Amino acid sequence: MHIVVLAKVVPDYEIPSSDFKLVENRAHAKYKRMIGLYDENAIEVGVQLKEKYAADLTIVSYGSSGDVQFLRKGVAMGADKIVLIEGTSDDPYTTAVNLQKGIETLGEIDVILAGRQSSDMDRGIVPGLLAGLMKYAFVPQICALENEGGGWKVTQITETGLRLMKVTGRAVFSVTSIPENKPRIPAVRAIFSAKKKPVEKLSEKEEPLTNISEISVSIPLVESVCEFIPTEAIDETARILLSRLKEERYL
Amino acid sequence: MKTLIIETVNSQILGELTTVSRLFSPLCDVIVLGEGELSGTYEKAFRVADTLGTNICIELTDLIKKEGYEVIILSSTAIGSGLAGLLAVGLEAPVLTEVTAISSDLIIEQSIYGSKAVAYYKMDSRPLILTIKRKYFEAAELGGATETVDIPVATQKIILLEEIEEERTGIPLEDADVIVTGGRGVGSKENFSILGELAELLVGAVGASRGAIDEGWMPPNAQIGQTGKTVSPGVYFAVGVSGASQHLAGISNAKCVVAINKDDEANIFKRARFGIISDYKKAVPAIINALREIG
Repeated sequence: MHIVVLAKVVPDYEIPSSDFKLVENRAHAKYKRMIGLYDENAIEVGVQLKEKYAADLTIVSYGSSGDVQFLRKGVAMGADKIVLIEGTSDDPYTTAVNLQKGIETLGEIDVILAGRQSSDMDRGIVPGLLAGLMKYAFVPQICALENEGGGWKVTQITETGLRLMKVTGRAVFSVTSIPENKPRIPAVRAIFSAKKKPVEKLSEKEEPLTNISEISVSIPLVESVCEFIPTEAIDETARILLSRLKEERYL
Repeated sequence: MKTLIIETVNSQILGELTTVSRLFSPLCDVIVLGEGELSGTYEKAFRVADTLGTNICIELTDLIKKEGYEVIILSSTAIGSGLAGLLAVGLEAPVLTEVTAISSDLIIEQSIYGSKAVAYYKMDSRPLILTIKRKYFEAAELGGATETVDIPVATQKIILLEEIEEERTGIPLEDADVIVTGGRGVGSKENFSILGELAELLVGAVGASRGAIDEGWMPPNAQIGQTGKTVSPGVYFAVGVSGASQHLAGISNAKCVVAINKDDEANIFKRARFGIISDYKKAVPAIINALREIG
């Protein structure tokens, strides 16, 4: 079995809004970079499947050459190798087409996992586009999967509960976070050995961009003045809070 | 512009998508997915019994091409997200997801960087596929009814084995006028009981940040934020919540945020109307007692 996990290196997604700056409509380059939040959940699911089915596990990424040092965390978590298609476009089609190019160098693939959305552009569309391009089945927002009779039994988290499905053939699944796929912290030894694991770099396939014009990007102003309630006597704090909520007709 | 909605019979979601569709066309068509009675008046209405994108995308692509739809509107839900990318490839159409606003001159807004920034787009070609984020558009009243024409589906790569609805006790988060939400700072699953007590006294609901969900302290459907629910309560108690931008995205419509956190630099205070810098284990019981005193 060969499992592919898609991972994208993004600017630190934990930067508070108040410190966030844009340069030319994108996050300032000063922020540290890291694998996307949900991509790490997807890697964890991939590693669990690798351990269960003795599978091969490859991380495929579209990004810049400098991303390799961050993608190595995925190898330290348990992946076997990295395939990086070098490019800088934010266009989802370009990303999907290039991920397809990277995946097709790997031969037979059984399943492709991705985070439910990247932690920069937040679109959640690339896995579906990739599935469409590769003519694979696609299920978003899964939280569990197991191989069963040559297919996949998956659990999807929906807005109102869960859906259990049986998927036949090859598939792309986007993964959402649950306690069971909390990313493992790699051991120091694994971090060092990850530096020796193979990295294949491929050049970008140039594709026409999606026919949508980005007009501008801005940081929304959030105006809120917090009234701090004194806490010397906590019972009094509570009474003041309730009184203020009533005065302002929130309660 | 010839406009199509693709959605289940959920009248709240259909209402929101109908509001969006009216920006493009006074009367649109609909493809309703799954079973149930369809509300609303449409030019044409079709029905596909299946709700899984992989199973239905070929038939829907063919229909969209045949009818010449220029704008295709879906919701940013598991169903809409499961279909949007596949349709985009089939139609060779651009797609914008998680749309939060559309101006009268059809400039389309989408939050990026965990809702720390907003990107504005204009459509250069048609068809265009949009997935609409829940709760950002007021739901239109769906008057009348429209007969549906069935569209048969040929293949079934995915079989739906079971659909499990979440157990709902009390007021749903989406409808609650008061929400008490716990974050990682709450510390344990057991500690959420005190938040439940406060919510009950205020006839509200209990939510959780993604951090608390990832710890397994609350079920996934209690998650509020960018990848959870979007809520619009009158009062939102954020207890032990740091205030990551991804969480704030889910409470942008909350009228009043009360932040309780012992970290005076927590980002949540920047969004809060009232702040209590204290251990919640002292503050929340005090609020409960004060509420009981008032009766």
